This record gives sequence, C-alpha cells and structure tokens, in this order.
Amino acid sequence: MSEHKTRPQGHTSMRKVQRNNKVILNLAVSMGEELLKNGGEIYRVQETVGRVMEAYGVEDYHVFVVTNGIFATVHEQDEEAGSMVRDVPLGDINLEKIAGINQLSREICQGSLSLSQAYERLEQCRHAAPLRDAFLVLACGIESAGFCFLLGGTPFDSIFSFLLGLLLQAFLVAGTKRNVSKFLLNILGSALVTAGSLALYGMGLSVHSDRIIIGGIIVLMPGVALVTGIRDSFNGDYLSGGIRLMDAVLTGICIAVGVGASVKIFQLLGGGALPI
Amino acid sequence: MIVQLLVAVISTLAFAVLFHVPRQEYLYCAVNGGLGWMVYKFSLGCGFGVPVSSLWATLTLTLVARVLSALRKMPSTVFLLAGIFTLVPGSGVYYTAYYLIMNELSKCTAKGIETFKIAGAIVLGIIFGLALPQSWFNRLGRLTDKKEASGKA
Repeated sequence: MSEHKTRPQGHTSMRKVQRNNKVILNLAVSMGEELLKNGGEIYRVQETVGRVMEAYGVEDYHVFVVTNGIFATVHEQDEEAGSMVRDVPLGDINLEKIAGINQLSREICQGSLSLSQAYERLEQCRHAAPLRDAFLVLACGIESAGFCFLLGGTPFDSIFSFLLGLLLQAFLVAGTKRNVSKFLLNILGSALVTAGSLALYGMGLSVHSDRIIIGGIIVLMPGVALVTGIRDSFNGDYLSGGIRLMDAVLTGICIAVGVGASVKIFQLLGGGALPI
Repeated sequence: MIVQLLVAVISTLAFAVLFHVPRQEYLYCAVNGGLGWMVYKFSLGCGFGVPVSSLWATLTLTLVARVLSALRKMPSTVFLLAGIFTLVPGSGVYYTAYYLIMNELSKCTAKGIETFKIAGAIVLGIIFGLALPQSWFNRLGRLTDKKEASGKA
C-alpha cells in the first residue's frame, strides 16, 4: 500500500527544498483528494499522488489511501518533515473531474507545468461548471424510460417511467442540496417511484407497474459502488473494496425497503396482489 | 432488435450524462453500452442463462472500455461505469423485495439467489476483463500517439 524511495539529499539550500516539499505535497494530495471524492479507484489515487511528487523531484515519500481518506508524508527522517491527512467523504460520481485530473497528472509527468501553473489547473478542474440540474433530471427520465422498455415494458409504460424518472431525480437533487442522508434518499426515492407506479395501476390504467418501478429505481442501483469495489479489491486494496461493497449492499437493502414499504401500504389500502 | 439496440444506446447515454462523463466521450460510452446489451441479448438467444449472458456482456464491455481508454487517453472507468448499468440486476432487487413483502418466501429466496448470481457474474466479467496485462493495451495507446505525432508533422 505504500511506496518508499530515498535519495541522498544535498545540504545546500536545504531549507528552500523543504518548504517546496510541502507545496508539492499539498498539490499532490489535493489532486488525490479530488480523484477520491469524485469516485476514483484507490490505485489511481495512489499512483497519481506518487507520480506528481516524483515529477517535482520528491522521491522520499509515503502515501496511504483508503476509500475515505488520504495520508501522506514527505522526508519523514528529516527535521522538517511534512505530512498531510485528508478526510474525504464518499461523494457523487463525476467522471469529468477524474478525467481532468488524469490529464493534469499526465502533463505534470511530461514536465511541462510549473508548480503555480499546476495549482491553477487544479483550481480550474475543481470549479469546472457543473451540468445544469434540469439536464440531469431530463437524463434520468430518459434512462428510466429506456430501461423500462429494455426490461419488456411497452412504450406506454415507458412514458410513465419517464415521468417518474424526472420526479425521482428532481427529488434526489433537492434532497442532496439539503444534505439529507444518502440512505434516507434511497429509501424515500424508491418508495416514491413505487407509489407513483402503483397509483397508476390503482387508477385502472393497463400498465405493467413492475416494469415501470424497475425502470424508475435503476438510477438508485449501486452499480458504480459494485464496480469500483471490485476494482479496488482486485488491486489488493481489500479494505477500500470492502467499504465500497458494503456501501453497495446497504444501498440495495435500502431500495428493497423503500419498494417493500410502498407495496405493503398499497396492499393495506386494499389494492390486493399485483400482477407480475 | 434494432429498436432494442437504439434504446440501450440512449439509456447508456443518459447514464453518461448522470455521471458527468466528459462531453466528447458521450458517444463512445453509449456505443459501449449498446454493444454490451447486444452481447447480452445474443447470448440469451443462444440459450445461455441470465448470469452467463451477463458475464459475457460485462467481459466485452470491460475489454472495449480498456481499448477505448488506451485510444482516447481516458481512465477506463469513464467507459465502463455507464455501460455496465444496462446489466445491473435492478429487476432482481425489485422482485426479491416484492416477494418478501407478499410473504412468498420460496420465490423470494429463488429471486434473491438469482440476483446474487447475476451480480457475481458481473463481478467475474469485470475481473476477467481487467486481468489481461495493461501492456497489451498500452501498445494500442502508442499507435494513436504515432498518429497524433504524424498528424502534427
């Protein structure tokens, strides 16, 4: 998990080198933090931090990365050793930022960027304009409709799945802005979709309520956590992989609870068994 | 069949948007997703079960994602995440929960185990895809480097 390389240090301008070390460490760890926060794999974070440090001439360093934290030190044995710890909460996936940091690290490795230029680029990457919420809501609607159709729904079902998808993503965006816990959002979100679909069925429309529900809840599915968890475990980062996989299982259970609660309430209201 | 392909491509595209994939890669993600779904459907048509079909599909997806990642100089995750979603057992989770609530426990267990099998097959597909050495893909990456260099010159 840690990389270690040493090189004999000259005694001239030691102080300047040391201060520079901290700036480099800060840059490298900030880049790592950005990757981790946006859903990067552990080995990618570790490699990026290491490469950036080496590109700027720091060869005596240790980096340790887990899913929700980065620990790094430089020149541990020296008097002015630098160390940095970052707590990184699990966040939303943003592949654009991961790709951006990846590109930045590639350019740093080619030696074409000075430290201040690199910082500037990092800031640009961090504050890249996010997609509009309306765009995300629309995308969610489209994928709900698409999945409903792929899983055997009729185009008529897809229309309702589209509407429920829009509703769900709007709910998720609003909830995330108010810092509602992710698990609560999953339970309420899947309950919302199920309730909507069952309401349509209860109104007597001839819809496949199950296909509509599945199309609607697919956006909540922990597919990313599953994939990243596997990749982490496969790279030997069992702890981080375990955290992700546990996240995936818990999310799955939350979705099941939300769906189940809605179906149960529908039954208690006298809806009876659903056609599958 | 063509309609299915189109819908799979569009759904994957929507997922690419939700995951903030860089805009210039939308198309590649979508094509990869469509390809995965085609392999899945084709394999189902050949008489394989859902888990085995998921395995073939994820294997294809992962390999194509790695090739694309070398060619486009992007992390392979970019192409993999959105594409994999067409195969995630969403219906399994739903039916398991539904049968549990309906107190049909034998059906619930059967669905639950099937869901785990599909998730496991997806896992295996990704692992096999990632097991091939990176150097094979790096060679592809170098091809585009040369092209770019000659294009500039």
